Amino acid sequence: MGRIVLDQVSKRFGDVEVIPPLDLTIEDGEFAVFVGPSGCGKSTLLRMIAGLEDLTSGNIEIDGENVTEVPPSKRGLAMVFQSYALYPHMTVRKNIGFPLRMEKMEQAEIDKRVETAAQSLNLVDYLDRKPGQLSGGQRQRVAIGRAIVRDPSAFLFDEPLSNLDAALRVGMRLEISEMHERMRTTMIYVTHDQVEAMTMANKIVVLQAGRIEQVGSPLDLYHKPQNVFVAGFIGSPKMNIFSGPEAEKHGAHTIGIRPEHTDVSMTEGTWEGRVGVAEHLGSDTFIHVHDTGLADMVTVRITGDISVKHGDKIFLTPRADQIHRFDAQGQRIA
Amino acid sequence: MSDRKLPRLLQTPAVLLLLVWMLVPLGMTLYFSFIRYVLNSLRRPEWTTPSLSNWRGFGNYEFVLKSKDFVLAIQNSLFIVCSILFLTVILGILIAVLINKSFPGQGIVRVLLISPFFVMPAVNAVLWINMILDPVLGLQGIAVAGINDLLEGLRQMPVLGGFFSLWPEFEPISFRATQTSAIAVIMMVTWQWTPFAVLIFMTSLQSEDQQQKEAAVLDGAGTWSQFRFLTLPHLGRPIAIVVMIQAIFHLSLYAEIEIVSRGNGNKNLPYLIGEFANNNIGAASATGIFAVILANIVAIFLLRMVGKTLME
Repeated sequence: MGRIVLDQVSKRFGDVEVIPPLDLTIEDGEFAVFVGPSGCGKSTLLRMIAGLEDLTSGNIEIDGENVTEVPPSKRGLAMVFQSYALYPHMTVRKNIGFPLRMEKMEQAEIDKRVETAAQSLNLVDYLDRKPGQLSGGQRQRVAIGRAIVRDPSAFLFDEPLSNLDAALRVGMRLEISEMHERMRTTMIYVTHDQVEAMTMANKIVVLQAGRIEQVGSPLDLYHKPQNVFVAGFIGSPKMNIFSGPEAEKHGAHTIGIRPEHTDVSMTEGTWEGRVGVAEHLGSDTFIHVHDTGLADMVTVRITGDISVKHGDKIFLTPRADQIHRFDAQGQRIA
Repeated sequence: MSDRKLPRLLQTPAVLLLLVWMLVPLGMTLYFSFIRYVLNSLRRPEWTTPSLSNWRGFGNYEFVLKSKDFVLAIQNSLFIVCSILFLTVILGILIAVLINKSFPGQGIVRVLLISPFFVMPAVNAVLWINMILDPVLGLQGIAVAGINDLLEGLRQMPVLGGFFSLWPEFEPISFRATQTSAIAVIMMVTWQWTPFAVLIFMTSLQSEDQQQKEAAVLDGAGTWSQFRFLTLPHLGRPIAIVVMIQAIFHLSLYAEIEIVSRGNGNKNLPYLIGEFANNNIGAASATGIFAVILANIVAIFLLRMVGKTLME
């Protein structure tokens, strides 16, 4: 079980309001991702749930029980830190067993649980090593192992993959997703990387300056961004967003069109521009188009390859049903 | 000239200087320890100049080993050094952990805590033995006299007086006596060197990983467990460093012993050497060689310990 409810939760550091009062419910078994730019308060929010930061106001409930005043260790949550936070003087075995030892569990039971966790994380061969002798990915696994043995009602991940290199990150992303499918335990995952958010989450919470901009499934956010911020934040490459006469034609203050929803032609189309840089990825091509009169640069994404040269004239045609319209306050027009 | 020769050649003056610096005194000490050499002798004036014709073999060593003060000096050296190490490490850790938390006036408190370290050893000894530990004029004497006066007043009380008259009169302790002068030395040196330990432990505490502590909090570790399983292992290396540096310094304590008791019942090896050196240079040199051996044993033991913690 692990249903987490935040009720009018807020946080101030002195005069600075980091998180204005917000409400949020994370259902049992959900994989929720807090995503947003640096300094948006996502880590602070996670630490408040963990109990490492006090709340300025509001309440946190876990499984219907108010845990606002409950100390961190009694909340039944396990956290994986960005720096792994392994205990450097202990072996992997001791590290994973530490929370159980603190619960004064019997040594035989501790050994059994550590063994099980180590097997599921491929750590059996490393149990007697110290963290200093492990690679980044292995350390991350130990940190996850230390969280698993406690059998928590929810896992909290604070940017756990940002210290890993790109290849390992993709691998660990899959492992964590796999782990969630297997265990069906609530997970809250903080990241600034929208790709991680899109690939792993059931529910994405987009935060900016401590406010929740939108909560929804990855495809909800992709297809129906509630405002300009979410529209620009979710999706890669970024959505092209522009205001002005072209937007007014569509009866909106601002419109947005994703790079993959724009058709390209060398001869005719709605907007004319000049090719800047073309990025050939093999499967896709990203073309950065200048001098369209809409924005500094418009990015389009074409499946497959296309031969264009820097400076070529190019025509873009947005797919009408894929244009996102926003009003003067940046809110979506239905 | 090959690639290796030039650097070697450039190093040579420094290496030679160091060798001369170490080997000449050591060689002279060894030489003096094997001959009869005294500063003043009316009976045997030929002993007053160092010469191979006064060869004594291991005679000086036998003389030192048989002298009644030698075993006492070694025991005392070890007792004083070990006690100081034990006390400074414990106090150092406690104070460092205490002032590691932020509180108003932190800067001033830290400077004040470090200040004993800047007092000269002789001044430190004079301050303690005369102004604090003196049984009559020192703080101790005044305090004991005050308590006795208070007790005297309580004895005059109507009902409870009977109870207090059962209490004995308090006696101030003389720290210049044979049995207590080592204690006085330990106290004053501990006072002076605890700041050193605090300084080293404090810098180490500030480099402690805070996320580890947060992880431990979530894992259910209380304050004591965090200290026991995270902070103490983290301090292992600085503790080894503090122990090693202090052991080397305190094996050669001299000023404090001279001022407290003039070595009365409280000699350590350096003090014994000093006593012999008043006249008998041969015996002083032999004691010096014993001191070198003792220091080496201690150093090897400590280096092993430090090495072990560094390996982890």
